[in-house]
Amino acid sequence: MGSITKRMDVQKAAEDVRLRTLGKIPRPLDRFIYLASTRDYNTGLYHHEGLASRYSAEVACEALADCHREVYRQLLFCSLKDLVAQMEAYVDSSHTLARDFISVWRGIEPYRVAVPVDADSFSAEFLFSNFRIALAIVEQHLASPRNSPQAA
Amino acid sequence: MMQLVLVLLLAVLFVAVLFVFARKQGTRAEGVADALVSARQALNSLQGSLLPPELVHRIFAREDLDYVSSVGSKEIREAFVRERRSVALRWVGQVRRQVLNLRHFHSGHSRFYAQLDLHTEIGLALSFASLLLACRMLETVFYVRGPFAAPKMVGRMIGTAGVICAVSERSLAFLSRTGQTASPDLLSGSQSGGVTV
Repeated sequence: MGSITKRMDVQKAAEDVRLRTLGKIPRPLDRFIYLASTRDYNTGLYHHEGLASRYSAEVACEALADCHREVYRQLLFCSLKDLVAQMEAYVDSSHTLARDFISVWRGIEPYRVAVPVDADSFSAEFLFSNFRIALAIVEQHLASPRNSPQAA
Repeated sequence: MMQLVLVLLLAVLFVAVLFVFARKQGTRAEGVADALVSARQALNSLQGSLLPPELVHRIFAREDLDYVSSVGSKEIREAFVRERRSVALRWVGQVRRQVLNLRHFHSGHSRFYAQLDLHTEIGLALSFASLLLACRMLETVFYVRGPFAAPKMVGRMIGTAGVICAVSERSLAFLSRTGQTASPDLLSGSQSGGVTV
């Protein structure tokens, strides 16, 4: 397969992922976690059966990687206020107790393994720093709901 | 007899000079290759990871500080400033390191690959000097007064870095023509230029 043809297939598959899958996931944070979850921890390769059957496993992998990088950039460039709102909505939709969520995210920092493989270390550390602060604010909102924007 | 000794001495001296010269040529070729790779990586890192305007804007966004001040406790605000200071110091430190790599390339090797006129070379030397000075000053300001204390200085620094990147890009253009450039970084695509912070 020529590299140009393959690139076009990857773009088509990525568009497919954006429309059919990511379009139904409301926030960049949720999309980020979802896309990271399609990646194998050991190989770093992304898997999506439906997409692979329509295109090929290799094209599906690259399309998901492209989408992952795109969502990563969105998260990186969003304001702290936006990130806090996304985190609160994510906790609400995850059906976990907010306290448990905060405890786990603070303790094992699962977002560290959710960044794209080729993310540069500086931008990754910047995102982690924003996550830490956002978590602290979410925790404070939980402790005193009066300060929460949802309560306002 | 004396003449024979003199000729032999001159011959030995000539061979020794040739030997030293040949060794220097070999070292220089390796050194040039290292400098080229290092300069290309520095340029990719600056343009792709450190200087995209959206990223710089985000790091120094005052709106984040205002938001944390309005909703967070005093402890959270302090933690936020601490985190951003650390990010800002790391950022300026990395920019400085990559600029030093580029300067090394320009001062030693770039004239072999790009025809820079004297005016451009002098301008570039001044840009390097002012940028490195600005990096040091920003490090001090971030350390003493926090990451949000010098937005204009950050903006000017990004502008100067953009000029240096553009000239370096021209000097390294032959690498792109032969397809030897590294793959673009994650955040590539944004040419560093003026940025409002």
